[in-house]
Amino acid sequence: MDQRLRNLAEQLDAGLIARREFLRKAAVVTGGTAAGLATLRRMASAQPKTKLRAWLFKSFVTNANDILGRQIEAWAKDRKVDVEMDWATFGDREPKFVAAIEAGNPPDLAEMHIMGPTRYKAVLRDVSALAGDIARAKGGLLPFAETAMKIDGKFLGVARYSMTTVFFIRKDVMEAKGLKPPKIYDPDVVEFARKTQDPSKDLFGFGQTLNRSDDGDGFMENIFWDYGGGSWDKEGKPALGTTFRAQNLKALQFAVDTIQKHKIQPPGVMGWTDVSNNESYMAGKLVTTNNGASLYYAMVTKKHELAPKTQLVLTPGGPGGSFVGSSCYNWGIFSKSKLADLSEDLIRWVEDEKHFNEYLQVSVGQAGPVYKGRVDNPYWKSDPNFEAIVQNILRSVNYGYPGPLTSAAVEVRAQHVLTDMAGRVVVGGLSPEAALKEAHARVEEIYKMRRA
Amino acid sequence: MATPAARLPASATLGRQRTAVGLAQWLGRDYRLGLLFVAPIIALVLALVAYPFCYAIYLSMTRKYVGVPPVWVGFDNYVKLTWDGFFRRAVYNSFVFTFGSVAVKVVLGMAMALVLMTHVRFRSFWTGVLLIPWVAPTVVSALNFLWIYDYSLGVLNYLLVKVFRILPQGVGWLSEPGTAMASVIAVNVWRGFPFFGISFLAGMKAIPGEAYEAAAVDGAGALQRFRHVTLPGIKNIMIIVVLLSTIWTFNDFTIVYILTKGGPGGATQVLPVLTYEIAFGAQRLGEAIAVALYMLPAMAAVIIVLARYMRRGRAA
Amino acid sequence: MRNRILARAETPLAYAVLLALALVVVFPFYWMFVTSLKSEEQMRSLASMFWPSPVVLDNYRQLLGKTDFAAWYGNSIVVAVSSTFLATAIGTLGAYALARLKFFGRAFMASATLITYLVPPSILFIPLYAQIRNLGLADSLTGLIVAYPSFTVPFVTWLLMGYFESIPLELEESAMIDGATRFGAFRRIILPLAAPGVLAAALFAFTQAWNEFLYALVFITNVKLRTLPVGLSTFITGDVYGWGFLMAGAVLTTLPVIAAYTYLQKYMVEGLTAGSVKG
Repeated sequence: MDQRLRNLAEQLDAGLIARREFLRKAAVVTGGTAAGLATLRRMASAQPKTKLRAWLFKSFVTNANDILGRQIEAWAKDRKVDVEMDWATFGDREPKFVAAIEAGNPPDLAEMHIMGPTRYKAVLRDVSALAGDIARAKGGLLPFAETAMKIDGKFLGVARYSMTTVFFIRKDVMEAKGLKPPKIYDPDVVEFARKTQDPSKDLFGFGQTLNRSDDGDGFMENIFWDYGGGSWDKEGKPALGTTFRAQNLKALQFAVDTIQKHKIQPPGVMGWTDVSNNESYMAGKLVTTNNGASLYYAMVTKKHELAPKTQLVLTPGGPGGSFVGSSCYNWGIFSKSKLADLSEDLIRWVEDEKHFNEYLQVSVGQAGPVYKGRVDNPYWKSDPNFEAIVQNILRSVNYGYPGPLTSAAVEVRAQHVLTDMAGRVVVGGLSPEAALKEAHARVEEIYKMRRA
Repeated sequence: MATPAARLPASATLGRQRTAVGLAQWLGRDYRLGLLFVAPIIALVLALVAYPFCYAIYLSMTRKYVGVPPVWVGFDNYVKLTWDGFFRRAVYNSFVFTFGSVAVKVVLGMAMALVLMTHVRFRSFWTGVLLIPWVAPTVVSALNFLWIYDYSLGVLNYLLVKVFRILPQGVGWLSEPGTAMASVIAVNVWRGFPFFGISFLAGMKAIPGEAYEAAAVDGAGALQRFRHVTLPGIKNIMIIVVLLSTIWTFNDFTIVYILTKGGPGGATQVLPVLTYEIAFGAQRLGEAIAVALYMLPAMAAVIIVLARYMRRGRAA
Repeated sequence: MRNRILARAETPLAYAVLLALALVVVFPFYWMFVTSLKSEEQMRSLASMFWPSPVVLDNYRQLLGKTDFAAWYGNSIVVAVSSTFLATAIGTLGAYALARLKFFGRAFMASATLITYLVPPSILFIPLYAQIRNLGLADSLTGLIVAYPSFTVPFVTWLLMGYFESIPLELEESAMIDGATRFGAFRRIILPLAAPGVLAAALFAFTQAWNEFLYALVFITNVKLRTLPVGLSTFITGDVYGWGFLMAGAVLTTLPVIAAYTYLQKYMVEGLTAGSVKG
């Protein structure tokens, strides 16, 4: 053997040493796997044969989630069936729905967003009979909820509750300046904000993002309606840059002005996500903001010092009125489900007034009424701040207003067309006219595609 | 180092000793063992990559809404995208994001490798520490930076305004057009540079010590040694790592999605996030997949170059 | 011997750069850790920014006591470790064949393995989910264990191809002259030599599997079967994040990978040195 081969042999030796070390270290890992695989087998064998799969909305109000979970467990015990509950939050819901539907593996029933019946109509079961029964027992559905649940004459969702947004005001700051709650954005909110804010102390009069987010899109939609405009006309045809161009331009200009001209918004507001205004408000940096009841819940349950200093009022309006977009969480049963009767039974159980009331009691205003009979629940008189929640829900309008609720209207909202437009002005430096034109083209395209 | 560093001309002698006839002549000498060994990969690739991929290509040529059967439209989706302003901006942003990140990662990775080649103490400890961002779950890191960048409660503004007093007022890092892209790039760099560092380090370790000694004898200074010995020595590795990272960065979804979701006003909208938006926001699966596939030819070019360098790296 | 790029005189500079890099790397983790020990009141008041006062363990207590976090931890370990073993085994065999054996279609297969890198996971997961369901593996950890190699095997194969090629051919030849079969030579000679490379590849696969989010989110619906990244993301409820809570989960999720790497990082360097990225 020549020198080279001898070297190689040495290296092999070195390799073998490395192997021993490797094996020793690998043993640690192998032990872990063995334990893991045992767990896996146990899990596999623990899977029962038939069970009802329910997808639930994990709301921020965790106490209410717990109650719903317990009610469903109680039902399962009573009916002697297994239920598998999967809770999903805002952002995680759509991918799960899409993947499950496309793979032909949807759950039996799901708690859906107001968009649910419109979006998933092709795979949802007609629940008209059940929805009718439940609505009758509760004095009928509120009009906006009926429109949102009833697609092409059939109910595809059983309404549950409405999670509206309201206008949050720091009562202490307002009273110190001797002011009254604003009724319209321009000039009330602007003046209110200017008088109360103190940027040097990091306190801003108004906190409302125009970024693509639920908060941002909701605000943009409302303010277009407030100025007498909107994305759609009465027939449900695109109107963003045509029929309502003048009104929409004013609304867009105002939204942009809150940041650029009036300077009543904190820096960074264009990057806010749905969390940001909650955090800022609770950190005492905002005098007013638009938000869902979740913020109030967060403060009340945590006994936050600002909870008693907060007043909830109706969302401000504009020259064309005062509008709030609707919300209606609801139950849908997938047409693939082999357990449709059982699913309907579960819906009846949780929507039973005794059970729903348990849920309502811990919801801190989040589970707003969608049935006429639930409007008068004494719960809504238990806190003066709830008045604004109920009134906002009663006047709320659906996507597509003043036209019908269409797939295209849902999609324009879901694609953040309006906030993208605002972003193009504030961030992209476009003129409002150009941004409106661009956004209108997107609305037109969505409209065309959805009709094809 | 416990590994053979000697590089002999590979696959030369043994390959020529062809004795087998018949099948082996057609399928190659080691076809039995070879096919047996690659069978799992073939099965995996066919079942979990190729089939879904082909189906995806098909879907990109359809109009496909969730829950509704697809309708064949040929290249319509692609043609439409070509003229779509949002898509074009996303392509532009993707390039800015990718090349911005990769460039900074090269610089930081080089710095990391160079300092780890010096006589600093506890080198393996430092190597371990610097590797952490690369191994920490991306979801965790992205959420952590969302919290760090937070305008009112985040530590970055606190440091700059209250501690170092560099800025009079906080910056909305993720919310201003000037800083949003830089901020997401920073997170991608933070997460990705250790891979560059450790790969460069591996390359530098493979450079024979004699090369440096010879250079030193010729009177070369540190900078010259770096230029004339280190850089050529790790040229191939650099190309490979840059190309690999280009692919990874181009496809990175988590960081941008968690930090900005493409905002503010589309300033950080990149292709993977746009794909996601169209698939789940708009629920137009065909178009969403077309967005993801649109840049495939460009990526294919990157891959081909990459493959060439990797082969050359080995043959050299 | 150690290569010297910077002379001793430049060592202070090296320490300065090293410290700067380490600070940038470590500070976010420190911040994560500090946040996890703060009360919400403290976070909002911006008081005692860099040290929790008082130190609050509620976040951890709640995390481990009131959520399924412990179960998710177990799931993540099972999935990451099993899929790593699977991917490493498949990749090692394949890489050896592609690097060393002569057979029809070898070059094509080597390129094809590379090309699978092209496919962005964001488009694959819907058809892949359908496929996993066809295999009867939806909503099970096994489904993830099977799916993860689809993105870890290409890199493992690739890294190891280079590694195997760097092992001198003579070693195999001499073993075969001594009467060993090719398989025997692979098992007894080549594999032990490639151990550091295999470990580096395995570490890589483990990291990717441990961090994976999208497939785990979509394929698993049973709450008890979630993996850590998905479980963590479910703590973002509605529009208010519990930062302290989230960061407590983040700390616990990050620890094992950090531990694994500090323990095994030298193989990573060695594996890459001799592996495919060798220049």
